[in-house]
Amino acid sequence: MEEIVNVEAVSRSFPLDNYPSSHPAHSYVSALTHASLRVNAGEFLAIAGPSGSGKTTLLNLIGCIDQPTTGRILVNGVDTSRLKPAGMSKLRREKLGFVFQTFNLIPVFTAAENVEYPLLIQGVASDERKQRVAEALESVGLSARANQRPDLLSGGERQRVAVARAIVHQPSLVLADEPTANLDTHNATQLIDLMHGLNQRLGLTFIFSTHDARLLEHTERIVRLTDGEVISDSTQGGSRG
Amino acid sequence: MAKFLLLAFRNIFRNRRRTIMTLLMVGGGVAGLLLSGGYFAFMTHGLREDTINSGLGHLQIFTADHFNRDEVRVLDTGIDNWRQVAAAVKTGNHVRGIAPRIDFYGMVSNGTKAAGFMGAAVDPEAEKSLGFTTWIESGRNLDPKPNGEVEALIGKGLAKSMNVGIGDGLTVLAMTSDGALNGVDVQIVGIINSGAPERDERYLRITLPAAQRLLQSDRVTNLVVGLDATQNTDQAYSEMMPRLNGLSQHLVLKKWIDLATYYKQVNTMFNGIFLFMGVIVFFMVLMSSVNTLLMSMFERTREIGTMLAMGTPRAWIIALFMVEATLLGLVGAVVGLVAGNLLGLLLNASGLHMPPPPGYNVPMPFKVRFVPLEMIGSSLLVIFSLAIASIVPAFRASRLKIAEALSHV
Repeated sequence: MEEIVNVEAVSRSFPLDNYPSSHPAHSYVSALTHASLRVNAGEFLAIAGPSGSGKTTLLNLIGCIDQPTTGRILVNGVDTSRLKPAGMSKLRREKLGFVFQTFNLIPVFTAAENVEYPLLIQGVASDERKQRVAEALESVGLSARANQRPDLLSGGERQRVAVARAIVHQPSLVLADEPTANLDTHNATQLIDLMHGLNQRLGLTFIFSTHDARLLEHTERIVRLTDGEVISDSTQGGSRG
Repeated sequence: MAKFLLLAFRNIFRNRRRTIMTLLMVGGGVAGLLLSGGYFAFMTHGLREDTINSGLGHLQIFTADHFNRDEVRVLDTGIDNWRQVAAAVKTGNHVRGIAPRIDFYGMVSNGTKAAGFMGAAVDPEAEKSLGFTTWIESGRNLDPKPNGEVEALIGKGLAKSMNVGIGDGLTVLAMTSDGALNGVDVQIVGIINSGAPERDERYLRITLPAAQRLLQSDRVTNLVVGLDATQNTDQAYSEMMPRLNGLSQHLVLKKWIDLATYYKQVNTMFNGIFLFMGVIVFFMVLMSSVNTLLMSMFERTREIGTMLAMGTPRAWIIALFMVEATLLGLVGAVVGLVAGNLLGLLLNASGLHMPPPPGYNVPMPFKVRFVPLEMIGSSLLVIFSLAIASIVPAFRASRLKIAEALSHV
């Protein structure tokens, strides 16, 4: 099976102060330590762990939003550490989809226009955009709400729009950082089921982070992080070493 | 592209109160420029037409000697075959008429007191046909063919100085073209108030034949050409030059603008003030807009981070902010144009007057003239100011660190 993500001994630390790195008082906090992970196409993977365990940092690194201090990450076989900013931007635009904890929809756009945005920045023709937006909204059950602005949608609906936006350009990988954190249990379960359904139906690879143990029941593979370290990588069938 | 513009346009109205404040500021700048520029334009346009109609005309014909040397004797640099010259140019395009003139100097006396004067000899019919202002405050204009005594119009100040009024007589003394002193008795038929007291203290006007008899010369100082419209001056000038070149005397043709020193000074001053105001408006809009646009950028940090995370090129973010600012400038310019024109109409209907300018004693109407070029220029100025103001916020937005921007609260 095709490998989508390969995280090789990645560490990420952040400066704690404004001193230059050569200064004796300079100090760092380590958000991720020597993490390794392989993800194959079509997987539905959860990164679990308490707050501050490094989930967001790992997703940011896989999503080319941040760069590791040491180690390297391959996405779709491309070593992201070798990419220039424009190359990383292109990779995110074409190969990745993002779902954020706070939905992060563009407030002045309607639901349909939000979903259309990734196609817009890829330069997809207008007719094709319309068709793909309609399909994406239908796949998340929001065709009837296409022309509503985000402020008129419920939290669950907004996150479903965000999911439609993340999949509309048919990416290789969808990264969802705590997508259920701002949803009630019912909506959270529905969202995970929706993403799982899309994973099953369209073969899309999903990596999402959560600290909600109840949602992990719906997940085939769970990578657990604690204090920036991968402490386990297990599937419903057993451990993956 | 359309969606991109739509996004920029909708972003303008996200924070309505701030947008309204910005639009008021930008619109106020445009309206202010329109009103001040319109007032200056009204003043300069009025001054231009007043200057031309005061007797300057649109074109004037002189001998070359008039500019090359001073007169040794009166009219020795004048035009001698002036009727032939007038006939040669009279048939030109846009020419409405020709008025011969003599400028001369001398003394006037009431029998007990004498004073110097600046005289102008005119053809009253020609002057009237060209619509030149006579400035007669009381009395009547000169009779072109008087029976009996020579008629004269004198300035209000000169009349006061000589203690004479309409119907009184004066003796006018001047040097003839032969260098002899000659005199003529004149009867005052009108008092002139040109609005410029300094001129009126020394001004005297008689008919051309009377002056030629006094000065013992058939020459004239110059020929004043009146056209159908001021904007045809350049064309008429170009067409008239070859006609003059074919004549025996070396003649030169001058445009009104070359002779209107005061008009040029006033125009230059107004242009300077308008330019200064434009610079002030530019910096006013620039400074306040930078602040507004930076606030907008900070408020949208997470949204910009999201757009960058989704792979939006950084150049798009720069363009988005610049287009937003430009659109804001465009809307502000429209607001300013509407407000400026409405205020201008109100002002024109108000009948307000400004105090007379230096050297004049007639109040100036406080009106504005609507000049399309000023409207375009003012609008472009504020649009440009906002576009410049957006550069800093646009580049800061485009350089946001995505991970930090996404966690921005």
